[in-house]
Amino acid sequence: MHVRTLTLLTLALLGTAHAAPKKFTGYGSLGIVNGKSGGTYTLPLGDSPQSLFYYGAIDNNLGLISQQLFDGLVEFNLSTYKIEPALAESWTITDGGTVYTFKLRQGVKWSDGQAFNADDVIFTYKNMIMNPESRAGDPGNFKLGGKDVTISKVDNMTVRFTLPRPAPAFLLQQRYFIMPQHKLAKYGQESGAKPGDINSAWPTNVAETEVVGTGPFKLSNYAAGQKVTLVRNPNYWKVDGAGKQLPYLDKLEFLIIRDPQAQVAQFLAGNLDQLNVTGAQFPDLKQKEVAGAPFKVMRSTALFGSPPFVAYNFDAKNAALAKVFSDVRFRRAMQSAVNRERIIDTVYNGLASLPGHGVAPANKAFYANTTRQLGAFSLSDANDALDAMGLKKRNAAGIRLLPSGQPLEIDLTYGTDSAVYPAIATILQSDFAKVGVKVNLKGILSSRLLATGQSGDWEMILHAFGDQPDPELRRPIWQPGGSLYYWHRAPQPAKDGDPANTAKMAPWEKEIYDIFNKAAVEPNAATRKALYTRWQLIFAQNLPVTPIAKPENIGAISTKFGNYVYNLGVIPGYNPVPLIYQK
Amino acid sequence: MLTYTIRRLLGMIPTLLLISVVCFTVIQLQPGSFLDQYREDPRVTPESLQAMTRQLGLDQPVWAQYLNWVKGIVLHGDFGYSFANSRPVSSLIWERLGWTVFLAVLTLLVSWVIAVPLGIYTALNRYGKRSAALNFLGYLSLATPDFLVALLLIALVLRTGGTNVGGLFSPDMIDAPWSVARVLDLLAHLWIPMIAIGLEGVAGLMRQMRASMLDVLSQDFIRTARAKGATGQRVLWGHAVRNAVNPLISLAGLSLPSLISGTIIASIVLNLPTIGPYLYDALLNKDQFVAMTLLMFSALLLLIGNLLSDLALAWADPRVRFE
Repeated sequence: MHVRTLTLLTLALLGTAHAAPKKFTGYGSLGIVNGKSGGTYTLPLGDSPQSLFYYGAIDNNLGLISQQLFDGLVEFNLSTYKIEPALAESWTITDGGTVYTFKLRQGVKWSDGQAFNADDVIFTYKNMIMNPESRAGDPGNFKLGGKDVTISKVDNMTVRFTLPRPAPAFLLQQRYFIMPQHKLAKYGQESGAKPGDINSAWPTNVAETEVVGTGPFKLSNYAAGQKVTLVRNPNYWKVDGAGKQLPYLDKLEFLIIRDPQAQVAQFLAGNLDQLNVTGAQFPDLKQKEVAGAPFKVMRSTALFGSPPFVAYNFDAKNAALAKVFSDVRFRRAMQSAVNRERIIDTVYNGLASLPGHGVAPANKAFYANTTRQLGAFSLSDANDALDAMGLKKRNAAGIRLLPSGQPLEIDLTYGTDSAVYPAIATILQSDFAKVGVKVNLKGILSSRLLATGQSGDWEMILHAFGDQPDPELRRPIWQPGGSLYYWHRAPQPAKDGDPANTAKMAPWEKEIYDIFNKAAVEPNAATRKALYTRWQLIFAQNLPVTPIAKPENIGAISTKFGNYVYNLGVIPGYNPVPLIYQK
Repeated sequence: MLTYTIRRLLGMIPTLLLISVVCFTVIQLQPGSFLDQYREDPRVTPESLQAMTRQLGLDQPVWAQYLNWVKGIVLHGDFGYSFANSRPVSSLIWERLGWTVFLAVLTLLVSWVIAVPLGIYTALNRYGKRSAALNFLGYLSLATPDFLVALLLIALVLRTGGTNVGGLFSPDMIDAPWSVARVLDLLAHLWIPMIAIGLEGVAGLMRQMRASMLDVLSQDFIRTARAKGATGQRVLWGHAVRNAVNPLISLAGLSLPSLISGTIIASIVLNLPTIGPYLYDALLNKDQFVAMTLLMFSALLLLIGNLLSDLALAWADPRVRFE
């Protein structure tokens, strides 16, 4: 049997097994230095949290707060995105990659002083993460090939997962926030509650002392609709390079400000200490910085974040269009008419770069360089390619005619309430018109884009899906037949969980389908990487969707604070805030 | 008078029922469902969606959802459950009602105190230069949306190096206990929403008062009063203003529902913790019982406002009397 033991514990702390704080260090390359304690750091929150219980609502604002209150078993290294110990001090993967045993960190205490142990982990996984009735759980990841992952307690500080088959991305996924059993027991199924009851735990009017976590901060006050105040958790389990207890900050405040312009105003007025900004806001803020304003505007390349793409509906209601859309020659031809450089320059103010195909270029572990396949913007190439595929005839208005005689006229669905979609849509419209393809803009709310995509009632769509460190985490999006692979719905299984209908796939789609199935269970990292490289190349050549640009991350930070690392938002297991200190 | 009031109050019940049916129907006609926002997330499997549909009672027919909601109100005073917040609607609304009422009453008072004298002044000095200037300002503020005024004021404050750009308090005062410093901080923030929200009201009321004054001034009874030898002041305040103010009393009653829906955009731009943006979100997300409760509350306020202004009118104008 192939046994692989991974012990990532690099700290020489084994001698002090009773208290093993994690040394949160090694980020010199990010400009991190040892700081000093004290200070209040104020951040914006886009709206009131819907609940104070992370698994009760999928809500970005709640996520931002929860990220400071709770930790998972593992977390990301802030600069390499590699998985590191968090609440689990070490782990082993045995039995051919099907048994994951997590040894929990000794001496970790909840913010109310109670000891953290294996029961908390099991309680959280059973009642929240693996519970299909919990609104923000993730039960789908605990069913592999139709069989359940099981979790068991080995001893008071050891937890074991047994998988029905190997799943190399399983470790990466275990960044789920762990909740305190001693505070939430009455919502657990062990005490007779219904599985759905867990969603009503910790509503926004809960007593602050009830919300207990292992994270760097603890809840101090919530003023409805105005502010969430967190204070330092004195029991936090991380220390800095000098052994000083983290976090440095005494207080972390979230001001609830709905309007992005109002957020900028509050930042300029000095009421907010940090703000993530868009490419459009960058020049103005940078100018103010150069003129001596007390903040810095920083750019960083992004691994996470959502690069926009344009997709064509292979199953469009108009059969003639559907036939053209599913022809790879058409998608390639139209790619030549996508002026990425202009979009990057004018829409993103130059603060974006060329996109990858399903993997962010910053993702060193998986990215395959597909820049060449993006081609160059050339209207004449697009024209020639469309001519060559037999769309030569044009009507009096110069619009190409389909073989059926109807003009090549496409509705482009995009989100009107976005800073970038409307501008990108107009650029596409004007360039496509120059090659004889008429585009009609059809604006909807961005929040409806996915539902519209999945409904199949569209012809061409401008949308974005987030990048993740491991392609396996985006499998429902990029694997043909996946629940979010909506540009070609035909291969979708009639019932979710069933295997996809491979007969309806194009040969290249079938190959991608197989790649994802293989990579999902492949224990060898190099082989996995090779599989995903192949996928990116097939993606780049066949363009199931046409990626447009990868926006950069831009953050503005008050000069009062040190150790700032860009933080996109809710990425469980990626939290640089404990390192921030007031100068 | 008492029987009249009781009759009117009883009449509200069928009206409210009818309004609730219409509101519920309109909300249901909106495309999509509350759960749409969950579809976007890769964490949510179709089984989870089904479970949530069941938890929220969205698997029941629409009429059953409506009847259950009405039954809850009538039998238990329960206004339903907020899908988004996993909490009863009523407690959520109470949380935000305080500041909403405070702001609405204050802006109403301020706009009345400014508008009524200005209206009288411009009516009495119809052709004066100052009235012309005031009228022009009135038109201008009527034409400028409140959120634009708010944005301009914010820009102005920023330009002058101020820090009070939105909200009702500075960050560290939001959850501080009441003190002189906190009141001063509130006052330093309050003037922006007062101007932004109040200005539009001032302009409208001023025009109303002016028109009504002009109307009254040309009436026979004013001439009669003057002919009887009453002093100018007595004619003005005792006869003209007293009569001219009647339409404004009706107007005041009608402005009660603006408590909820009147200042949605300005509240968002100015970051005020009022109920308006909440209604907006509830409608967008199809958080149906929050939206329904707020709409019904708004309708109830309209009916009550109407009744109150009718009663006030009867008290103010001897010509209006009920049997």
